[in-house]
Amino acid sequence: MDETDTPADTAAEQAVVSSVKISRSFALPGAVFCVTEGDEQSQLYFGSSDFGIYRIDSDAEKPAPEPVSDSRHESYVTGLVRSGDTLVSGSYDGSLIWWDAESGDVRHRVQSAHEKWIRRLAISPDGSTVASVGDDMKTRVWNAKTADAIATWGGYELTTPHGYPSMLYAVAFSADGKWLATGNRTGKVIVRDSATGRVEATLEAPVMYTWDPKARRHSIGGIRSLAFSSDSQLLAVGGMGLVGNIDHLGGASRIEVFDWQSGKQRYEIEDTKLKGLVEQLKFGPDDEWLVAAGGDNGGFVSVYDGAEGTLLAQEKAPMHVFDFQLSDDGSKLRAVGFERASVVEIA
Amino acid sequence: MLMTRRICCVLLLVDALFGFDSFADDGTLLPAATSVRDAIDHYVQRAIAEHGVPAVGYASDETILRRTTLDLAGRIPTKKEQEWYAALTATQRREQLVDRLLNLPDAAYHLANEIDSHLLSNSPHNGEFREYLLWATTEKRPWDQMFRDMLLAKPAEGPLKGATQFLRTRIREVDDLTNDTAILFLGINVSCAKCHDHPLVEDWKQDHFYGMKAFFSRTYQTKKNVVAEKFFDEVKFKTTEGEDKLASFMFLTGDVVPDATPEFSDEVRKELDEKIRKAEREDDSEAPVPDFSPRLQLVDIALQEDSAAFFAKNIVNRIWARMLGRGLVSPLDQMHSGNPASHPELLDWLARDLKQHGYDLNRLVRGVALCEAYARDSEWTSTDEPPGEEYFAVARTRPLTPRQLSLSLQIAAASPDKWPDTDARDQWIQTRESLENQTNGWVREFEQPKEGFQVAVDEALFFSNNARIHDDVLRDSGDRLIGHLKGIEDDDELLTALWRGVLSRGPVDDEREAAVAWLQRDTEERVENIRQLSWTLLAGPEFRFNH
Amino acid sequence: MSEPAEFQHRRRIQRDLSRRGFLTTTAAGATAMAADMGQINALQSAAVTQQLKQQGTRVILLWLAGGASQFETWDPKPGAKTGGPFSAIPTSANGVHISELLPELARRMQHTAIIRSLNTKVADHGGGASLMETGRLRDPGLDFPDLGAVVARELGRLDSSVPDYVSLYTSTEGRRKGTSGILGARYAPMFLSDNMIPLNLAQLDAVSTVDHKDRAALRDVFAKQFSKHRNNAAVDSHMSAYQRVRGLMASEQLFNVENEPADVRARYGPTQFGEQCLIARRLCEAGVPFVKVARAWWDSHGQNFETHQELCADLDHSMSVLLDDLNERGLLENTLVLTLGEFGRTPRINASLGRDHFANAWSCSLSGYGVRGGVAYGKTDAEGNTVVDGEASSADLFATVLQALGIDHEHEYMVGSRPIPMADFGASPIDEVLA
Repeated sequence: MDETDTPADTAAEQAVVSSVKISRSFALPGAVFCVTEGDEQSQLYFGSSDFGIYRIDSDAEKPAPEPVSDSRHESYVTGLVRSGDTLVSGSYDGSLIWWDAESGDVRHRVQSAHEKWIRRLAISPDGSTVASVGDDMKTRVWNAKTADAIATWGGYELTTPHGYPSMLYAVAFSADGKWLATGNRTGKVIVRDSATGRVEATLEAPVMYTWDPKARRHSIGGIRSLAFSSDSQLLAVGGMGLVGNIDHLGGASRIEVFDWQSGKQRYEIEDTKLKGLVEQLKFGPDDEWLVAAGGDNGGFVSVYDGAEGTLLAQEKAPMHVFDFQLSDDGSKLRAVGFERASVVEIA
Repeated sequence: MLMTRRICCVLLLVDALFGFDSFADDGTLLPAATSVRDAIDHYVQRAIAEHGVPAVGYASDETILRRTTLDLAGRIPTKKEQEWYAALTATQRREQLVDRLLNLPDAAYHLANEIDSHLLSNSPHNGEFREYLLWATTEKRPWDQMFRDMLLAKPAEGPLKGATQFLRTRIREVDDLTNDTAILFLGINVSCAKCHDHPLVEDWKQDHFYGMKAFFSRTYQTKKNVVAEKFFDEVKFKTTEGEDKLASFMFLTGDVVPDATPEFSDEVRKELDEKIRKAEREDDSEAPVPDFSPRLQLVDIALQEDSAAFFAKNIVNRIWARMLGRGLVSPLDQMHSGNPASHPELLDWLARDLKQHGYDLNRLVRGVALCEAYARDSEWTSTDEPPGEEYFAVARTRPLTPRQLSLSLQIAAASPDKWPDTDARDQWIQTRESLENQTNGWVREFEQPKEGFQVAVDEALFFSNNARIHDDVLRDSGDRLIGHLKGIEDDDELLTALWRGVLSRGPVDDEREAAVAWLQRDTEERVENIRQLSWTLLAGPEFRFNH
Repeated sequence: MSEPAEFQHRRRIQRDLSRRGFLTTTAAGATAMAADMGQINALQSAAVTQQLKQQGTRVILLWLAGGASQFETWDPKPGAKTGGPFSAIPTSANGVHISELLPELARRMQHTAIIRSLNTKVADHGGGASLMETGRLRDPGLDFPDLGAVVARELGRLDSSVPDYVSLYTSTEGRRKGTSGILGARYAPMFLSDNMIPLNLAQLDAVSTVDHKDRAALRDVFAKQFSKHRNNAAVDSHMSAYQRVRGLMASEQLFNVENEPADVRARYGPTQFGEQCLIARRLCEAGVPFVKVARAWWDSHGQNFETHQELCADLDHSMSVLLDDLNERGLLENTLVLTLGEFGRTPRINASLGRDHFANAWSCSLSGYGVRGGVAYGKTDAEGNTVVDGEASSADLFATVLQALGIDHEHEYMVGSRPIPMADFGASPIDEVLA
């Protein structure tokens, strides 16, 4: 820091993010949809479109992925969380697998955890429970250690208003673990009490559905990401805005932030500079900012002001980003996506 | 099987070399000073006499008026025009009619419409192109000049701007550009020379197709929609022997234009490529202009003395076909000596005359409209076999174009008294302009006639059940035909007005009888009776065709 | 001043009664003019016998506009790098596996033959569609008719009171009307896009039925006077077009699915494609020889798997119900259902998880009449990049379809002096998929 800075300037600079920079990128096998950290934040575990789970040291001079196990899923791995020495993965094959993160041994396998594709997993902040969502439009809660099924919740239509199969993409716990939010293809968010399953709020973000009734007669969007603020007051919902040609992910990247308990939308962000789906969202420390990543053919990492949603900084990513891990101090973001990973410095 | 196709394709083009690439020896043709009409009559009559073909007599005055007005003005005659023609007593009344029609603004509108559907049938209702054509036909711009306008497609403001549309609507498909230019301006369909080979003249026809293509392959469009040319490009093709070959700039006659593309260093090439890429992508970039323009070469060679026969004969043949229902060469895109003209000397003579008179299309149109064959009856009442179409001994019954039909519907559907005197030029231009605009919404309901044209059932359904027919064409307000007729109490008078208004003639006895019975079937509903009776004529073939 | 509508209506009925029978003799004289129709068919004799026409052979083309992925339909490659996330499932045909996205069709494979070895090379929408519609590359000098027009001409009956080629294409993207080309407007499709009830089929309220019929009869009287001494095919076509009007108007109700029992409509499901398949069945049942139902738009450059989850579900259900319904009504015995698009999609999955245009190794299916069901013909390599067995061109497919219908694919149309075979030069039907 420049010594001539006044204390006031310094405070202001600390309060906001002024730069997002890709510090390194490296190759990954296949499209990588999910990532979680090891004990060291540089140690990453990820699940791939080659059906496998890998570990990789993102700080290594030449990061090389190493399979966690000889076993694999039977389709794309789309959800991965860690609880101590246990990894839990979910896949389009509908199964959940509990792995020994070290040895790769399969501790538990729930073959038909969902009747259709599993889209994402979330783990409670205390590491005790895992939530999974899938295209059977069910939300299921599992014991993170024993793999026991704890609860199954519905609340979503199996089909869209136009008669097509719907999809349940996104799930997130609040920081205090009290709430669980889910979001589907047509833009419906349900927030539940994570212990009882009681529905606390239902929100609608219909723009994200992107249904094209005239030209192409299908949709491409949906709610792809959810994040609570650290005080659990705000819920950010990510997806894509209206798109002219839904053959491509050419719509504005779109975020709607709700004061979810009142159901009021606090602000919305439509970013047409770096376009595509918002695949993952996280609030930074003290909720001062919000980081979003995703993409179309390319990718992006964007940081917005947490209170108002104004753009603070953004950077093109070298790949469509599907998931990331944010370091506790908010300074480093480790993103995975289509055949690549990137380490992103937030300052 | 493969062989059949090859040979049949190939013949067309080999023949093209010998049959149509030059004007005939002047010495064997009628003198150049002969009038167009006399030359036509001479050659047509000679063929009829030589083959002992029976020919029908002349059509009625009313039919001649309708036929000529449709062909020269693109619409049926108004009531005032019918009265004017009926009152003429001079022996030269056909000349008076033709000259009057050619002097009306309608002649320019109609010729523009015809050229429009001929050249831009794939993208109708192109405002810029129509504006150009109307300007050109009003100015009586020579046909060779129009060819230059359209193929050079220089950036221009004002009416000339639209001339670029011929190229621009095809610019993404060089094959279309090549074929359409050859078919529409030169009467030759070269498309079947694309992938086949000739068994005797090695590689000739592929050279030929790709030779024509080479004239267009450098043409591109900039971001600002300017038609431009690249500095270098080569058309390569694979012969049927699998050999890679470079096309030369070869015209239909087989004449080759020397390739004057300068040598460029790699550096310059790169620089030019970059400039062109920018021009293609950026609004504020100008396209660099090369010294050597293959398209200019094509225009020059197509119009130069010894090869212009293709160009001249094509337009003669097309205008002839438009007015007489069949080309001197038929099909129109098959000009080759394997498919000789029915009257080769006449075609030669007319092409020479057109060229010698500065490609003045109206001169040709006038001559055809005055000839005997044009004025013949279109009915063949004898029980004998009718004479072959190629003798022009019986007039052909021809479907109206969408524009002719739409304009005629508008004329007929209005009260006959509504139409002002067409000789009051300024007022009539306005009327014609608004008629053109009104018909824009109608022309798409009908199909452009082509060879082997059939009326689609959609059209019959449209006339039978569309609300626009009932609510617009058959509306009974005072300014409409039905409104006019319902004010006439006397049946005879009413029927005469109806038949004249729609069919440009009075009713014959049988028709009068059936129509009176219809009008009297329910006297309380006279308006409805008149409406439906009018429908029977408007939806009838006599209205639908030029006969 | 206008009368109240009800009064007008009563007046019209009275008028109808008082006029009934006007011009009955002339109306009777205006029956179908087989002789005149003959002139219209100036393009040489038909390729099939009148007997075949009488059998009422029909085709339904399910047009997967935009290009469906062969990986997610008929040629799955589970586990391959290019295979995507879906698994393959067994079908009712021994040894034939298809994508898990088509479970209902898998149970009906006994009716269906798959061709997995199309190599049609043209991978742009317009060019590909034109190629697959006509079975040949576009030839600027020759406007060749599409399959619908060819079938309409070869299998349609001249005296038919239903349309012989109906084309439904509701989405606006890639919308193509279809072309009858050299066969002329008589075989052009009745084209439905925005509205499923065809334009101008319904009689206007303002015209009474008796007026509508009687004026047509009077029109014919005048028209015959005109055409009598004119030996002219275009004039004749005008006459026959007007003579088909009343018959076609009667077919209006075929397009109205409200006329179907609620359970049948429910069975076809809630999607527009399902409803249009039901219309197709109604039309076939009434004797329409060719119906095309386009389902657009499969062009999944982004999110291929999401797109196919939506669209395959639509295809799987709608086509399955259509096959069942045709089968139950005995119509599958003379109806060929062809499922086809302009091309397939790339083995490579792009960064948007999409697949792009690909015409070098892709699939289509044929079901029902003339088809050997339960067959998967042809083979692509392990990653679906190339055809390794039974390569078939668009011309071969065209020939196969014609052959299945009993039409000689080598039959030639004469265009001027140029003989043009129905299936392009060098085409050979795929016998393995023919019954």
